[in-house]
Amino acid sequence: MTPDGRPGSASERLERAVGVVLQAGVTISTVCLAVGAAWALVTGESGAARVLLQTGILVLLLTPVARVVVSIAQYITERDWGFATLTTIVLVELLASAVAALVFKKKL
Amino acid sequence: MPIVTASLAAIIFTAGVISGSLGALLGLGGGVFLVPFLNLVLGFPFTAAAAISLTTVIATSSSVSAGRTGKQLINMRLGMLLEVATAGGSFLGGVTAQFVAQSALQKLFGIVAAVVAVIMLSRLRRRNVILDPSATPGILGGRYYEEESRTTVTYRVKRLPLAVTASFVAGNVSSLLGIGGGIIKVPILNAWCGIPLRAAAATSAFMIGVTATAGALIYYGRGQLEPALAAVAVLGVQLGSWGGMRFGAAASAKWLKILMAFVLFIVSVMMFARGGR
Repeated sequence: MTPDGRPGSASERLERAVGVVLQAGVTISTVCLAVGAAWALVTGESGAARVLLQTGILVLLLTPVARVVVSIAQYITERDWGFATLTTIVLVELLASAVAALVFKKKL
Repeated sequence: MPIVTASLAAIIFTAGVISGSLGALLGLGGGVFLVPFLNLVLGFPFTAAAAISLTTVIATSSSVSAGRTGKQLINMRLGMLLEVATAGGSFLGGVTAQFVAQSALQKLFGIVAAVVAVIMLSRLRRRNVILDPSATPGILGGRYYEEESRTTVTYRVKRLPLAVTASFVAGNVSSLLGIGGGIIKVPILNAWCGIPLRAAAATSAFMIGVTATAGALIYYGRGQLEPALAAVAVLGVQLGSWGGMRFGAAASAKWLKILMAFVLFIVSVMMFARGGR
C-alpha cells in the first residue's frame, strides 16, 4: 500500500477514477440545467423544462454520492480494508440523509 | 416558497455570478454571500436560501476538484477520513435545521459571518510554508509538486483529533447555514495540523461536495429546494468562479479581503437585527 503522492500508485488510479466521475457529473448536470433554464425562459414552465431542471439537480446531488461509491470500489480492489470501511461509513451517512428527508416528509 | 419569474431568475443568476467570483477570488465558497442575499434582500425563508446555496456549493466543489485530480494536491486519504466527520456533522445539521426557528439560524449566521471576517483579516499575509522534502508523509500525509517554487512539498498530518473535530463542526455549520465550511477547517488544518495551505484548501474543497450533499439531500427531500432557482444560481456561480479563477491573479486579494471582511461584518449585524425580532 503506497501513501498518497507516489507515482504509479493506487492513489493515482483512485484520483483518475474520482476525476472522471466528478467531471461527468458536472458536465451532465450543467448541460441539463442550462438547457432546462433556457427552455423554461423561452416557452414558460413547460413539462420538458421541468424534467430537465429536476434531472440536472438530481445529477448534481448524486455526483458526490457516485464519487464515494467509486472510491469504495477502488479501495476494495486495492484490498485497503481500512479506507474501504471509512468510505462506506460516509456512504451510510449520505443514505441516512436521504432516509431522514423521506421520514420528515411524512411527519412534519 | 417564492414564485419563479424571469426577472427573479435573472436576479439570482447575477447574485450567483457575483458570489461565485468573489468566492474564487477570496479562496472561499460563495455561500457566505449568497445566503444573506437570498434571505435578507429577497426575503426567502432561511431554509430555502440555505438549500439553494448548498446546491451551488456542491457544483463548485465537483468542478474545482475534477480539474485538480491527478496533481496530488488533493489529499484523498485525509479527505475521505475527515469526510466521516463532516458528513456526520452535516447530517445532524440538516436535521436540526428542520426543527429550529429561522431567527436562531439567522443569529448563528451572524456569529459565523463575524468569525469568517476575523479569520479573513488575520490571514491577509498568509503564505505557503515549504517543508522538508526528505520527510516521509506517513499514511495520512501527502506529497505534491509546487510549480512556483519548483519543489516537492512533503508533509505529515499532526493533531488528527483536532482535524476531525474541526471537520465535524464545519460540516454541522455547513448544512445548518448553507455554506461550504472550508473557511472554518482550512485555517485549522493549516495552522495546527501541519498541512500546507494549498493542500488544505484543495482537500477541503474536495470534501465539501460530500459534506454539502448530506445537508442538501434533506432540504431537497423536504421540498425546500426550488429546482429552477437552484439551476440559475448554480449556473451563475459556475460562471462567476470560472471568471474569478481566470482573472483572479491580476486582482489585489489583500484589499478585496479587507473590503469583504467589512461586508461580512455588516451582514453579521443585519442577521442579528433580523434574528432578534
